[in-house]
Amino acid sequence: MLDERDVTTVVDMEAGLEHLSRGTARHVDSLLVTLEPYFKSLETARRTVEMAREFEIGRIAGVANKLRDSDDAAAVRDFAAAHDIPLAGEVPFDDELRRADLAGLTPLDVRDSPAVAAIDRLASVMERKAGLKS
Amino acid sequence: MKIAITGKGGTGKTTIAGTMARMLARRGRQVWAIDADSNPNLALTLGLSRDRASAVTPLPATILDERVDERGVRTRTLVPSPREVADRYGVDTPDHVRLLLMGRVDHAGAG
Repeated sequence: MLDERDVTTVVDMEAGLEHLSRGTARHVDSLLVTLEPYFKSLETARRTVEMAREFEIGRIAGVANKLRDSDDAAAVRDFAAAHDIPLAGEVPFDDELRRADLAGLTPLDVRDSPAVAAIDRLASVMERKAGLKS
Repeated sequence: MKIAITGKGGTGKTTIAGTMARMLARRGRQVWAIDADSNPNLALTLGLSRDRASAVTPLPATILDERVDERGVRTRTLVPSPREVADRYGVDTPDHVRLLLMGRVDHAGAG
């Protein structure tokens, strides 16, 4: 149901793996997998990428999230490199996003958020990968 | 461009999906955001109030025509066009990202 040429579609998928074999996931051209710097997240990402490759789901990339320091960034980069997962973006940890959420606000309501800036760069990377002009 | 975002629960899928959707819309793109999570809260990241977010209803199962052939292969086709679905069942959000709540439709016939 996702093939309208001039429309950009962003799907927020369910956590877990079984959904990859059905429905919406089969029709996307890019799959982005979040990698937070702790083992269960990295391992989930690895298994997801493995399964996505089996199902031949378009381009597959990771996005590192909630990076608190350079050690976190290095941990995700090393893991991604070891499993051939290209990283399309690195989003730093920003506690203001959590505070905003508690206050009923969204990330875009947070001024000068480094996390939001990183997601904006990620959007540009995804546009370029899709062959679209930013 | 069709992007799906997945990952372990709590790792920021919805924050990234919703914020990226709004960024792309602010650049002038027409964006549809599909919440396919069984615990959906993309509406909030897209900027709907808590009240409006909880009032969003999922896509009805009737938009899919499901058939099983003699070999047991199940196919599902969308009855209206994607644009009709987006127009009829989508919800506008502050940056004009059109939100579609998948509900159980995506899960029909799974397993």
